[in-house]
Amino acid sequence: MLSPIEPEVLLTAGIDVGSSAIKVAVLREAAADGARILAARCERIRRREPANVAEAILRETLAAAGVALDELAYVATTGEGEIIKRRTGHFYGMTAHARGGLFLDPEARAIIDIGALYARAVLMDERAKVLSHRMSSQCASGSGQFLENISRYLGVALAEIGPLSLQADRPEQCSSICAVLAETDVINMVSRGISIPNILKGIHQSMAGRYLRLLASTGARGVVLVTGGLAADRGLLSALREAATEQGSPVEIRSHENSVLAGALGAALWGAFRVRKLAGKGIALGAGGQR
Amino acid sequence: MNSKDAEELLERAEALYRDHRLQSVREWKRRSGGLAVGYLPIYIPRELLHAQGVLPVGLMGGGDDLEVIRGDSYYQSYICHLPRSTLELGLNGSLDCLDGMIFPAICDVIRNMSGMWKMLFPDKLVRYLDLPQNFDREIGGKFYRRQLEELSQDMVALGARPLEEESLRRSMAIYNENRRLVRELWELRREEPWKVPASEFYLILRAGLVLAVEEHSRMLENYRMHVHADPGRKPMDQARVLVTGCFCEQPPLGFIKTLERAGCYIVEDDLVQIHRWFHRDIPLEGDPLENCIAAFLEDAVASPTRYIGDQEKGRELVERARRSGAEGVLFCAPSFCDPALLDQPMLVAAVEKAGIQWTGFKYTENLGQFQVIREQAGTFADSIRLWSGV
Repeated sequence: MLSPIEPEVLLTAGIDVGSSAIKVAVLREAAADGARILAARCERIRRREPANVAEAILRETLAAAGVALDELAYVATTGEGEIIKRRTGHFYGMTAHARGGLFLDPEARAIIDIGALYARAVLMDERAKVLSHRMSSQCASGSGQFLENISRYLGVALAEIGPLSLQADRPEQCSSICAVLAETDVINMVSRGISIPNILKGIHQSMAGRYLRLLASTGARGVVLVTGGLAADRGLLSALREAATEQGSPVEIRSHENSVLAGALGAALWGAFRVRKLAGKGIALGAGGQR
Repeated sequence: MNSKDAEELLERAEALYRDHRLQSVREWKRRSGGLAVGYLPIYIPRELLHAQGVLPVGLMGGGDDLEVIRGDSYYQSYICHLPRSTLELGLNGSLDCLDGMIFPAICDVIRNMSGMWKMLFPDKLVRYLDLPQNFDREIGGKFYRRQLEELSQDMVALGARPLEEESLRRSMAIYNENRRLVRELWELRREEPWKVPASEFYLILRAGLVLAVEEHSRMLENYRMHVHADPGRKPMDQARVLVTGCFCEQPPLGFIKTLERAGCYIVEDDLVQIHRWFHRDIPLEGDPLENCIAAFLEDAVASPTRYIGDQEKGRELVERARRSGAEGVLFCAPSFCDPALLDQPMLVAAVEKAGIQWTGFKYTENLGQFQVIREQAGTFADSIRLWSGV
């Protein structure tokens, strides 16, 4: 068992409380060979008390990692994680996603975090320091929640959205401005007999256009990692890449199998960073990350 | 003091904070038969009123749960929010238990408001307390003495007992004790900010505006006992910040909570500043009124409502930041607050020169949406913790 006070090796946990899902990651971070994921979980909240869900997932993830709570050098939260009482510290969402994005793809110099309620483009440097950022407007049409609503109207499971979108042959254009108009568009498309793959692809294209505009407004260039819940939507990723090519955008869109965990990973990594930074000032955190 | 008592204490403090009809003042008047006189931010010599048996009642606007209807019709859109809500409270009868109102010299808006109050409430005592801007005892001191003597005579005309040296000395000792308790908690907050969250302490300080000073001192003592005994107050890794600019119109409680939740420990601020107007106790030996005057002239905080040249205010802010171990400064000023916003460029220059990170917000007392504040404070806290000194 590793000791939390051993400076060479640190065990940290990151908890990302989103509006629809909670993600937890437990990391082993070593000064010599970097960080690796010991265990991670993502679970939808489904109308339960988020703080209780987070506690339960943290316990499960720690058990899977073979780590006891008091071995953690830092419990870092992000997203709505201020509700977690046992946290050592909280990091703002884009700070955490930037760090998590860099961990998952060291070549990334920007991320686009697409969550249930909004999307956020973040430009960063090689240390994951945030240089600029832009968020989607208050309209829900650029969010995962919107896509979830549409899938419900169409009777399609969330996991099917991406594969179906990839089957489209004649995508139908959809309003990119307003969720209400977009939903009306979808109802019209259904009544006009447009196939579900073409409807979904049209929505993906509409969302992709918005995300590219967000990225362009930050000045992003080069590798952009998609993070957040929608990073797993292959249809959306395909639409983003196609749109980037068509528009001659200077970005290369990438995703990672753990993209959904980027916030939790970034928080855990910043936690380890803080432990080392505080240690440099002679401040030690106690068992379980207590300062 | 067990946790249930502490919970009740904080609930009472919050109830007092939200009680615009001043129920506690009405009860105090019923019990004591004394007079109660309201005052606006940010400073009046409460000892004087106390010595004459008058309850000083601090008013800090209507906060975020008062619908302002009539108050708005008296002010242009470029005037801050506090006078609108205070006028609303006057017009809707919430302040009818007050026997008079004191308007200290804060800014032109409040000075004009004293005139409006005279016209709107002709049966009530209204006094504009002109605080000196010359801090020479021979000039400002003599002027201030006249102001205080007139204030004291106003109280007598209302039915209060005359001001006597010994009773003033006793009142000064009681207020010294009250300020000492506040200072102790402030020190504790600097040392261990997780034990004294700003959002709790703020409510305790606000309670001191409407309670009799003796009762408020008991509240402070009980709160101190509780925070020392409560094992649940554990430290977190947060950025230590100094909040400045909110000395008159107060931000809503949700604003303070948002800063804390976003990763900031507020280790120094100028909220409800009257409790910390002086750096030290006011001496009791000698002429007590002269001691009150000397304290105002020579030992008061460098408030934006005082004219202090030669970059002294910037120096004091940097000194406060260093003394409290603040890693960053949050300039939080009410929208359209001339004293705060006019001082701000000078203070920012001093903070930048000292190499201290800063950011700025504006607010109104009835602000209801904190998402932008949360983002700004959250990223500021991250930038301090991750990138300062790197």
